[in-house]
Amino acid sequence: MTSFRAIAPILALLAGLAIPVRFGLAHHSFAMFDPSNPVTITGTVKEFQWVNPHVTLWVYTAAKEGETPELWNIELTSPGNLTRIGWTRHTFSPGDKVAVEIAPLRDGTHGGGFRKATLTDTGQELTANFQAQEKPDLQ
Amino acid sequence: MASSVHRLERAWRSGGDMRLKGMIGAAVLLLAAGAGAAAEPREIDPAPSAADWAALAKLPDWSGVWTPGIRDQNAQITTNPPPWTPDVAAQMAELAAQEKAGHPRGLFIDCLPEAMPSWMLISHNAVEFLFTPGRVTLLGESDGNRLRRIYTDGRSHPADPDPSFHGNSIGHWEGDTLVVDTIGVLPQTYIAVSEAVGIPNNGDLHVVERLHLAEPDVLHDDLEITAPHVLTATWHTTRIYFRQRAKKYEIIEGECLQGSFKDGVDAKGNAIFLPQPLVDGNPRAQ
Repeated sequence: MTSFRAIAPILALLAGLAIPVRFGLAHHSFAMFDPSNPVTITGTVKEFQWVNPHVTLWVYTAAKEGETPELWNIELTSPGNLTRIGWTRHTFSPGDKVAVEIAPLRDGTHGGGFRKATLTDTGQELTANFQAQEKPDLQ
Repeated sequence: MASSVHRLERAWRSGGDMRLKGMIGAAVLLLAAGAGAAAEPREIDPAPSAADWAALAKLPDWSGVWTPGIRDQNAQITTNPPPWTPDVAAQMAELAAQEKAGHPRGLFIDCLPEAMPSWMLISHNAVEFLFTPGRVTLLGESDGNRLRRIYTDGRSHPADPDPSFHGNSIGHWEGDTLVVDTIGVLPQTYIAVSEAVGIPNNGDLHVVERLHLAEPDVLHDDLEITAPHVLTATWHTTRIYFRQRAKKYEIIEGECLQGSFKDGVDAKGNAIFLPQPLVDGNPRAQ
């Protein structure tokens, strides 16, 4: 009988081949995003998911005549961390016109890590760097 | 009394009334149970007294919400790495290379708790401390509203605690320092330096923490982590927390798995959660 020890390397290899590994925002490293090549997504908010572990902004890109809009998912930190820098679950609403600068996913799929956004209609700019403040008694 | 005992004895010996025999047997069992209770008193958590509640006022003030020093967590990846065994060091180098190359392996994408000791080591989320008689409770954000129960009532660890994500923690106060001793942690929980680089503790983990105010609004958790299967020596590291009193810093609910679902409605109009397609923890466009 073949021992598990004998076939373990083969199993490990198969497991490695099964799915291209790319990791998401649930307790993840941000290394899958490429901060050196930021891109700006311009379009309309489909949905603003205010959920743990990571808030997600869904944006349809503006499409030219005859083109299909692309749907991008843009990921942020947790609702708790965003609340502390002044965000709420109403910061974005479906239909909002936005320009969002992201660190795109390295694998080229339509997603990225949030860097900043501008609400086109009001000109309001939003950032999400909750780590910038590390001291007690923040306001 | 004596006569009734004799009567029972006679009945027993004569092999007579079975119902009476049953009653005698039950009485003997009850007496035995009583004797057992006397030998092993029922373990209880006594109701706290007014003095126990008043004593809490003498403890240091750790109220408010505490946010972790993330930049210091990151700095220690290079300035104070764990003393990995050579085999583990090779695995860590591989994971770090994958992260650097932009293909990180996520340690926590399954939404299982960061657990001990990684909650204390790498969390980006806030924590609060509750003092009640005989106990300190840590309540955190994320991980399904994570918590640690630290018993300060003088008890010892159980001889053979059931392994759990946060282990069995007992604590005592040395002046204004809370000293916490934790064992009974599942071998699968990570000793992590980032969300992509870490190793399961692989068993026999022992963590000693000394929590104290380094400044009026800065709390330090001095950790001594002993993990004989992955570390060559006890790892000493300190984690920093900053006190916040602004209301917007209050802890809010955080369920890690919520991101795996989206809002939906069933056929009868009820609000329900629908599974959301994910790729390695990421919501995907549909």
